[in-house]
Amino acid sequence: MKVVTGVIGNDIHVVANRLMDLSLNARGYEVFNLGVNTFLEEFFDAAVETGAEILLISSLNGEAEGWSREVKILKSKYKTLDRLIMMIGGNLTVGSGNARDIVPRYKNYGFDLVCHQVDLNTGLDMLEDYIKEHRQP
Amino acid sequence: MSQLQEEREIILGNENVDAFDFDEVREFIENADEKLFISHHFATRDKMLVQPRGGFPTYEKQYALYEFFVAANVDVLPLTIDSNTRLNDYATAEKMLRLSEANEIDMLNGYPLVNHGYRTTRKMMTHFNHPVSLRHGTPDARLLTEIAIAAGIFEIEGGPITYLLPYSKNFPLDKAFLYWKYVERVCADYSKLNKPINRESFGPLTATLVPPAITIVIQLLEMLLSLEEGVKSFSVSFSQQGSMIQDIVTGTVTRKLARFYAAQIGCEDASIHLVYHQWMGAFPTNRDSADQLINMSTVIASMVGADKIITKTREEAVGIPTKEANAQTVANTQYTLRILSGLPAIVDEQEEEILTAEVQAIMDAVFNDSADTLWRKVFNSIKNGIIDVPFSPHIINHNKMITIRDAHKNIRIIERGNVPIPDRCYAYEKSCCDLNKDTTSIVNDIIHDIGIMQ
Repeated sequence: MKVVTGVIGNDIHVVANRLMDLSLNARGYEVFNLGVNTFLEEFFDAAVETGAEILLISSLNGEAEGWSREVKILKSKYKTLDRLIMMIGGNLTVGSGNARDIVPRYKNYGFDLVCHQVDLNTGLDMLEDYIKEHRQP
Repeated sequence: MSQLQEEREIILGNENVDAFDFDEVREFIENADEKLFISHHFATRDKMLVQPRGGFPTYEKQYALYEFFVAANVDVLPLTIDSNTRLNDYATAEKMLRLSEANEIDMLNGYPLVNHGYRTTRKMMTHFNHPVSLRHGTPDARLLTEIAIAAGIFEIEGGPITYLLPYSKNFPLDKAFLYWKYVERVCADYSKLNKPINRESFGPLTATLVPPAITIVIQLLEMLLSLEEGVKSFSVSFSQQGSMIQDIVTGTVTRKLARFYAAQIGCEDASIHLVYHQWMGAFPTNRDSADQLINMSTVIASMVGADKIITKTREEAVGIPTKEANAQTVANTQYTLRILSGLPAIVDEQEEEILTAEVQAIMDAVFNDSADTLWRKVFNSIKNGIIDVPFSPHIINHNKMITIRDAHKNIRIIERGNVPIPDRCYAYEKSCCDLNKDTTSIVNDIIHDIGIMQ
């Protein structure tokens, strides 16, 4: 499966992004990594361009919250993204917060899978379970 | 008028510069006290020079920081520049400087040198009469360098590769080479007037599992790009890597090859120095542990035989350090250096031989590129992955090399990508590691290896 990934906003934290790239490749995905400092439009454009089934956005400095409010509006402008699996992970809030509040908020923004401060491999296992559940007839 | 002078007049005609007086600046440099030149200290003192990091927005706070440093017996003062200036956004720097002056709250993470101007800043530099090192991270440092030297700051850190690949996603690398060529020429030109202006490369790069072969190649190339423009005093550098023996070997090979390649282009007369950065990776949040780590770094720098050490503080994990914490590290480091004696000379011939072969193979590949000038050869080599910096955020970087730590915490290359590591060296590097693991375990190892000091 094809996955587009990258770090959203003015966020230069590159280490996890590279490790995610490695791990996704090892799990057999075809990875299109947009790297750090990526804006929302760029993610959707890349998903259309590559025909990706999964969009995996990450954030470390917490600015994902601001960007995520625009996900639904922006995504609706693209005609071919209805079946795109939307996943977000990392540190999803500025300052402190807990997953109990954060996860529903992000699901409301339009994400299918939300991983706040979840270990990388646990998150990727969640993705695999989700795909199994939702993609089998 | 020379082409360089024409370009200088355009750069210095910037609206944020208050009437740059070329003749007055030359006269100031001609008559400047030799104590302001770090090149003079390198030439005349046999102790390792101690230099902290630090920059505050206002003149008063910077001055107060220097008072603390001088009281702690500092050798070299730093001037760390704010991030707006690093991106040539002088208007925002000006606004934030005014807010910082009016509100007692620092709105900048460094000293906005262009906005303060050289006339004001020079008063501070000549008052303290210590060598000052410009620390920034600016891809286009043309204006900043002009103002710094005019202010009496006679060491300029950075370079087209080391200030770009760790810091930027898409600033054009070819432009960075040309902007730094200007910096080298200005430094070379001023070096004829008095003691030489020292240039220093930024060896830590991403400070994340960068193997010594890559670090050294980039140090040597930035040195050559500088010397070929006429710079006469240059510092190569690297940061603590996590294994004492790997640091010692890296120091030995760096020094040996710096002399070798400088001689190859007929620059034997340039003086080359070695600078060691205390641990640049993720720091422990526990302040006492941080102090122990800093102290260990100082011991290793002595084993390496560095000419200068750049310090961290016990508050590294927390944020921008206070002047008290910063000065404390200087005093502690000076104390350790003073009591440390009778160090054994340690040589590891096998590691030296392998590292030397790796560096020479990469250097050969760069020189064999078909481009006509060195900067274009280097540019092409980065573009096609002959030089590959682990964890660089820049789009031009190849990202194919993978490194992990072996049982002794040496950084080893387990996937060379397009970097021409010779086969026998590559086999050796891999033989040091347990590679019978799946990628998931290796990724977990990498996460662990990045955080070894926490």
